[in-house]
Amino acid sequence: MTAPSLATPPFTAVATLVRMRATMLRRALRENPAPMVAALAGALAAAWLIRYAVTGDRHTLTVLAGAWVLGWIVLPLLLGGVRGRLRPAQLRLEPITTGPMTTGLLAASAVGIGPAVSLLALSALPVHAAVRHGAGPAVIAAAGALLLWLLGLVGSAVALEAVGRAAGPVGAVLTGTFTGTVMGISGSVWAVAPWIGQVLVTGPPPSAITVLRRVPSDWPLAAATAAPGPATALLLGLTLLVGVGVAAYTTLVRRVLAAGAPFLPRRTDRTPAPAEAVAPPAAPAASPAAAVPADDDLTPISRPISPAARPAEAATVIRGPAWAELDRQDAAEIDLVTPPEPAPLNDATPGPPAPPPAAVPVPVVPTGLQRGAVVAVLHRELRSWARHPLRLQYLTFAVVYGLLLGMLPLLAHVDLLAPWAGPLAVLWASAMAASLVGLDGTALWMPLLTPGGEIAETRGRALAWLVVALPIGVLLTVAGILVAPGVDPLPALAVLPAVLAAGATTPVWVALLRVRPVRDARHPTAADNPTDIVSVLLALAGPLLAAAPAFALVVWGPDGLRPLAPVAGLIAGLAVGRGALWLADDRLARRGTEVLAAAGDRSAPPPPAVPLTWDPQWYRENRSTAWALVLLTAGWIPVLPQGLLVLVLDIRGGWIVASHLAGGARTGVALGMVGLGAAMLLTGLVLWGRRPLT
Amino acid sequence: MDETALKIRGLTKTFGTYRAVDQVDLTVRSGTFHGMVGPNGAGKSTTIGMAVGLINPDAGTIDLLGADALADRPRARALTGVLPDGLDFPERLTGAELLRYCAGLRGIRDAAARIDELIEVLGLVKGAATPLADCSTGTRKKVGLAQALLHAPRLLVLDEPFEAVDPVSAAAIRRVLRRFVAGGGTTVLSTHSMLLVEQLCDDVTVIHQGRVVAAGPVSEVAGEIGLEERFVELVSADAPGSADLSWLISG
Repeated sequence: MTAPSLATPPFTAVATLVRMRATMLRRALRENPAPMVAALAGALAAAWLIRYAVTGDRHTLTVLAGAWVLGWIVLPLLLGGVRGRLRPAQLRLEPITTGPMTTGLLAASAVGIGPAVSLLALSALPVHAAVRHGAGPAVIAAAGALLLWLLGLVGSAVALEAVGRAAGPVGAVLTGTFTGTVMGISGSVWAVAPWIGQVLVTGPPPSAITVLRRVPSDWPLAAATAAPGPATALLLGLTLLVGVGVAAYTTLVRRVLAAGAPFLPRRTDRTPAPAEAVAPPAAPAASPAAAVPADDDLTPISRPISPAARPAEAATVIRGPAWAELDRQDAAEIDLVTPPEPAPLNDATPGPPAPPPAAVPVPVVPTGLQRGAVVAVLHRELRSWARHPLRLQYLTFAVVYGLLLGMLPLLAHVDLLAPWAGPLAVLWASAMAASLVGLDGTALWMPLLTPGGEIAETRGRALAWLVVALPIGVLLTVAGILVAPGVDPLPALAVLPAVLAAGATTPVWVALLRVRPVRDARHPTAADNPTDIVSVLLALAGPLLAAAPAFALVVWGPDGLRPLAPVAGLIAGLAVGRGALWLADDRLARRGTEVLAAAGDRSAPPPPAVPLTWDPQWYRENRSTAWALVLLTAGWIPVLPQGLLVLVLDIRGGWIVASHLAGGARTGVALGMVGLGAAMLLTGLVLWGRRPLT
Repeated sequence: MDETALKIRGLTKTFGTYRAVDQVDLTVRSGTFHGMVGPNGAGKSTTIGMAVGLINPDAGTIDLLGADALADRPRARALTGVLPDGLDFPERLTGAELLRYCAGLRGIRDAAARIDELIEVLGLVKGAATPLADCSTGTRKKVGLAQALLHAPRLLVLDEPFEAVDPVSAAAIRRVLRRFVAGGGTTVLSTHSMLLVEQLCDDVTVIHQGRVVAAGPVSEVAGEIGLEERFVELVSADAPGSADLSWLISG
């Protein structure tokens, strides 16, 4: 008799996974404005690309399309855009076979803002073909663009499972190096602005065009203008690449379903220490300890253990197996009733406690900085920076990114940015620290339950970041100065202290304001990166604000005062840093329990949903949340139509203020609008972050 | 003399529309073991979380060793040792490093001897050298208990302290706790083990659906039938159904 298939039917499996992803997306859009912010920014960029496609150079367009697909693959790993993705590891216990699982996961990954915006952006290719060559080539280019989009979709999925799953310090450093290199190469393009301008207007040089022919993003437009044979070959090439990607992803999914991980799982067991040697299996159990389960998962549970080999536990057994046989004479030798000597935080704890006094004296509560507590947090943080895979990844990314942004332009004989390698690395180290509270899970409960623990927590975190970032910033800055001796180093030297001082505390505040819980605080991977783009932008805002006065003094200040710019940078950095520290202290002191709840998925109550219909009562009871919604909605008006669209797309209209002006006044008004809108959005985000969770 | 270590009155907490804790009263005598029992989702952990300051109550008062714990959180923190259930540690630290971190946070000088003793007594010699992220649940419980004891608190609040702990370690923990209580300390522990409560606790509070349904000395609450049966009686009105699930055995 043939047993009926127990696997979920393929179509049902695929449809279910797509529905799951759609539900997750709907919920994310409703609960958090960040995806909508990203969608608007992406749509703006896609609109610019389509506009460029109408009049721009064909080869430059393919470069931009390729950069877009590359960014689509890499950026989610870096900015936490994978948090809402479905992964095969989550579905291991479901009766879905590899084929439907792969198809379903890929189809589900197409449901999202990134794929939608990317599809819009890549439509620039058929638009270009239609404008330049007519309808027929446009259809071929559309097919090629669709294949390119599929390549991005599959590449993103493979990167998430392969690169994003790399565990351990080596994997973390490799991931940080990879993402930092990709971003550094992409970002350094802007460092050679004249070359970029030339590329945008006249296209890449002939030598680059020869290389571009081998790049897949060039193939859709190449196919559109080629003879039928070569065109077919180009499209088949794209199809083949998509097929290779699908095959790679299928392999990864199969391995995850079979083994729980795409690669060999990391070993967590270790060779027992000699003192914990394993007794021969045949040895008779000399005491109940022989049947004792291991005290942790580093030893197999069934392993018999010699009492002599485990002195502490053996001694426990020898004293007697039952708690009832407690003998106070030889029981715990530890003194649990004497307060620490001297113990500033406990010095009011009475000495002989039995019987307890009528009223326990009030202990001395720390009112100022507790140096010992700060040092304790500092040590904890430094160890975490050295051991936590995601922190290592962040740090590596910041160093590589800063280094490449500063040094890569040297290849184009542009040495202006070399001294900036240090400040740029520090800036990104600050930005990437914007999610550390969520990354630590619910470990925040320990300082929250300690007198003065909140103050120590914020200062210890900031100090540890400074200890890590200061040598990096100084070393890279000095290296940049030595590499480019002809460049005035004063601007970089003025900005460095500002970004260091402000960068130490701003991410602490942001991490407490926008807690993004990590899925598994014990064994997070690069794919669990909780950092989101809004947190990154907020964390960048503080150091940039602090750097502005010193930079302005160097560039526009009188010559006599220019040497004082580093001092100005330090003062501004300290001022911004102190302000951010005050905000962090206030956040932790007033909303510590809410921050803790937000850091723990299991304990966090769902935030109150915003009513989808008009509910005056709700708006009366949630004024700050309502203001946040108003600001987050209206803030885009000055940013986009009144600001960026004027500056980028040169739009005009009766209600657009800047379009009534010309020249510098027009630019100034547009920039002012961007600033006004940014302030509204920032205020809205702060209010949104402070909304009550219950 | 105040005989009460912890006195909770009218404690209430609502998450959204779900009332997790509803007008809970709880009295814990000084120098005793006090057990808190209840079905899953009864409100035990929420009550404990509010008592120690991890969750803000919506209403109610908490008197800890003669003073208002809600008004003076720093004092309450200094006098209380807490082992929460399900919360993370700084996962990259080893057990020993965590204890040194806690000693630093609380300003305990010369804590090395205490830490060594705790590691030895709780059988943490190996676990203390392993990053917490790689430790088993049982080892994490023991490390958590060590950090709760480190500053010699007056009140210990332990949420499922024996969960996943092996029998030998459990015996060691019981001995440590008995020593603590014998020295005048007070221990509140939340557990699902009625046997543990009967063996270890002086008093017990039964919480069900966010309310206290029984409280008092263990012998009085348990009566003649024993605590386990009494507990089932107290909460059985909302026990799961009795369908026979015939489909489960038909195949």
